[in-house]
Amino acid sequence: MKPFDVIVIGGGLAGLMAAAVAADNGQRVALLTYGSGSLPLASGAIDFLNAKAPDVAIKNLPAHHPYKKIGLKACDAAAKFFVDIAAKADLPYNGRLSAQIPIVTAVGTLKYSALVPESMDASNLVNKKKIFVVEIKGLKDFYAAMIVDNLKKIFPDKTFEVAKLDLNLLGGRDITCMDAAQIISVNEQILADGLKTLDVGDDDAIIIPPIFGLEGNSSRAAIKSQLRAEILETTCLPPSPTGIRLQRAFIKYLQSSGVRIFENSKVVRGVVDGKKVTGVVVENSVREKVFPARKVILATGGFYSGGITMRDFDQPREPIFDLPVFFPTGAENWSNEQLFSDEPQGFSMTGIFTDESLRPIDESGEILFENLHVVGANLGGSDFVFERSAGGVAISSAYKGATS
Amino acid sequence: MSDKTQAIFTGDRCLSCTSCMANCPVMAAIKDYRGPKLVGPAHGRMHFSQEDIEATLEFCSNCKSCDRACPSGVAVSTLNMLQRAEYYKTHPHTQAEDMIAHGERAGKMVRMMPFGATFANIGMEFGKTLGIFSKLGLAGERDMPAYASTPFKDLYSRIKQTAGGKKIVMFTGCFINDNEPQVGEAFVKVMNANGYEVLIDKGFNCCGSPLVVTGYLDEAKQHADNNADRILEWKKKGIPVVTPCTSCSLMLKEEYHELFAEHKFHEAAENVYDAFEFLEILQERGEFNDNVKPISQKLLYHVPCHLKCQAIGLPAANILEEFGANVQTADAGCCGISGNYGFRKDKYDISMKIGAKLFERVKRKDFDKVISDCGTCRMQIHHGSGIKPCHPIEILAAAYQ
Repeated sequence: MKPFDVIVIGGGLAGLMAAAVAADNGQRVALLTYGSGSLPLASGAIDFLNAKAPDVAIKNLPAHHPYKKIGLKACDAAAKFFVDIAAKADLPYNGRLSAQIPIVTAVGTLKYSALVPESMDASNLVNKKKIFVVEIKGLKDFYAAMIVDNLKKIFPDKTFEVAKLDLNLLGGRDITCMDAAQIISVNEQILADGLKTLDVGDDDAIIIPPIFGLEGNSSRAAIKSQLRAEILETTCLPPSPTGIRLQRAFIKYLQSSGVRIFENSKVVRGVVDGKKVTGVVVENSVREKVFPARKVILATGGFYSGGITMRDFDQPREPIFDLPVFFPTGAENWSNEQLFSDEPQGFSMTGIFTDESLRPIDESGEILFENLHVVGANLGGSDFVFERSAGGVAISSAYKGATS
Repeated sequence: MSDKTQAIFTGDRCLSCTSCMANCPVMAAIKDYRGPKLVGPAHGRMHFSQEDIEATLEFCSNCKSCDRACPSGVAVSTLNMLQRAEYYKTHPHTQAEDMIAHGERAGKMVRMMPFGATFANIGMEFGKTLGIFSKLGLAGERDMPAYASTPFKDLYSRIKQTAGGKKIVMFTGCFINDNEPQVGEAFVKVMNANGYEVLIDKGFNCCGSPLVVTGYLDEAKQHADNNADRILEWKKKGIPVVTPCTSCSLMLKEEYHELFAEHKFHEAAENVYDAFEFLEILQERGEFNDNVKPISQKLLYHVPCHLKCQAIGLPAANILEEFGANVQTADAGCCGISGNYGFRKDKYDISMKIGAKLFERVKRKDFDKVISDCGTCRMQIHHGSGIKPCHPIEILAAAYQ
C-alpha cells in the first residue's frame, strides 16, 4: 500500500472534519473508523462554549485549555470551513463565534449553540404571536404538551397550541424520528398537507420533531415553500436526523474528494521511527495490517469512545501510541458525586496535552512525535460537558491539526 | 483476538446507542423490521422461552452494516443469526429455504447427470417463465444463477501449472465453482504468475454462509468442522488457504469463530486469506510479480459489505491502481442481495430498494467496467442495472501477459 499523506483515526466529528480539511488541502487521505461515530446520536448543533460571546470567552480561558493552543483564528476558520462543507451538501447552517443561537430541545427548553442547522434556528421565536407544537401519531419520544408547558415558562406572553397530525406512519415497528424523516424524504407532501391543516399565519411558528429527511435541505425546502409560518425542528432522542444529515454531508464531501474510508478498522498501535510516525497498525480478526502514512491525526475521542482508557484508577492511558495522559484535577478531585449538579466533573479534564500544533507533549513539554496531531475529545484541559465545548473543540482542533 | 469476539459474549457490550439502527439498510427500506439493536443484542440475550420469538428476525439480511456501525464491538448480525437458528429448532423450513440454503447440494446433483448443467439451465428458464419459482417462494423476477457448462473444479485439472514451487490451496466457493469458473481460472493465472502453484482440496464443503443465514446452523457447524479440520491440515504443511470470494473468506476467517466459539476456528482462520489480501501481502514483502501490462481502464468498484467487515483495507483497488487503473469506489452502500436474501420472494422488493442507489450509480456508465469481489453482489448489480460486473482478479489476470 502506498503511504497516505494523512491518516485520520476516528470517524466522529473531529475525525470527519480533519479528513475534510486535509482533503481540501489536496492531500491523499485515509479515514480509519471503528463504529459509526457519535453524529447519529447528536443534534448537529456545534457548541463552542456556554457563553454569550464564545469568542470573547475563549480569550479568557486558562493557558492549558485546548482553545488556547488552537487559537481564535483557527476557531474562526474552522467554523467557516464547517459551514461551507454543510452548504456543499445543501445543509444550511447559521451562526458565528461571536454570538449564540437558541434551538428548542425535545423537552421544550432552549439550548444555545454557536453553529446551528438553519432548520433549528429559533432566533425568531421571540417575535412570533402563536406557536404550534405538532405531535405526530405513532412517533415515539416526542411530547408536544410537555414542550408547550416548558416553552410557556420562557415565553409567557405567547399563545400555544398542541396540534396532532396523523401521517399514517403506523404499521410495523415503533416509529422514531429517523424513521419518520426517512418516510418524509420520499414523500414530503404528507407532512406538507398535514401542516397545511393548521390555522397558521405569517406571524406564527410551527415546532415539529426533526423529521425533514435524512439528507440536506430538500425535504424542508419543499415543505417550507407551501407554508407561510416558520417551521422549526427540535432536538430528539437518537437516532437523530439532524446529526445524521451532518454526518452524511461530511461523508459526501470526503467521498467526492477521494478520501478512502475504511470501516471496522480498529487501530491498535502506531509504527514509529524515533519521533516520526510512519504508519498505523489495524488489527482484524486474524492478523494485522499496516497502513503507512506521512502524517497521522488521532481523533479517537476520550473516555466515552475508547480514545482514553483506564483499567487502574489514576492511570488513564492512550491505547494506540501510549501517549502520556494528564489528569490535572488529581485523584482526590476525580469525581463530583452529585452527578446532575451544575458543578464540573474532575475526571473530564483528563486527556493529552499538546504544543500549539496539537502534537503530543510529555511532562517537560517535549514534543513526542513530530507528525502526530491530537484532535477532539482526547485533548486534556477542558471539561467539554460542563463548558459545552465538545463540538467547537472537535472542529477547531481538527482544523488546526489538519493544517499544521 | 481472544474469546471476546465470540458473538454470545459481545451482546453485553451494547449500550443501546442506536448506531446500528442509523446504519441498517433493511430498516431504511421497510417499516416492519424492528432493527438490529432490538433483535440482536437485546432479544438475543433476553429471551427466555421458546415461545418468545421476535417475529421480525426474518428481515435481517446479515449484510453486517450493524457490526461495522457498532462502536462497542457487538457482533450484532451474528447474534441475529444465532437467534434465527433458535427459531428453526421449533419451526419447519419451507421448500424455498431448503433450496436457497443448499446450492452446493443442487450443484453436485446437476454435475452427476450427463449434460446436467444444460438441462438445469433450461429447466430454470422454464421455471422462471412458468412462474414455478414464484410459486415455490423464490423471487420470480430473478434469473437463477446459470450453471457453467464445466464447473471450475473440472476446468482446474486441465490447467497446466508448474509444480514444485510455492503452493496455496484455493477455496473455490460454490458460486465460482458452479457459476463463474472464469473467476477461478483468473485466480489460478494470477497466482501462477506470482510463483504459486494452486491446489484444490476436494474435501472442502460450501463455507456454510447460505446455511447460517437460512437457519441451518447444525449443518453449518458440520461444514465448519470439516473445513476447519482441512484448513488446519494445510496449515501444518505451511500452505495457506486463499479464496477469491469475500463471503467465504469472512465465514472462514471470522464468522465460524463468532458463531461456534471454539478456538480451533480461530487457529484455522489464521491460515485463510482473501485473494487480494494475499496478493497485497506478497507486494509488501516485495514478492509480487509486477511484470504487468499497464491497466488503462476506468473501474467502478463496488466494495462488498463482507469485504468492508474484514478490516484489510482495499487491496484490490490498491493493486489495480498501482498498474495504472483509475479505480473509483461506488460509495452507494449495500447492493441489497446479501447472499440468498434477495432470492426470497418476500424479500425481493426490499433487496431491490436497498440496491437502488447502487444501480443508479452504475447506470451513469462513466467507467469501462464495474468490479466487485463478491459473486452475489455481481449478480445483483447485473440484475438491477443490466451491466455485468467482473471480479477484480479478472482484470489483473488479463494484465499478466
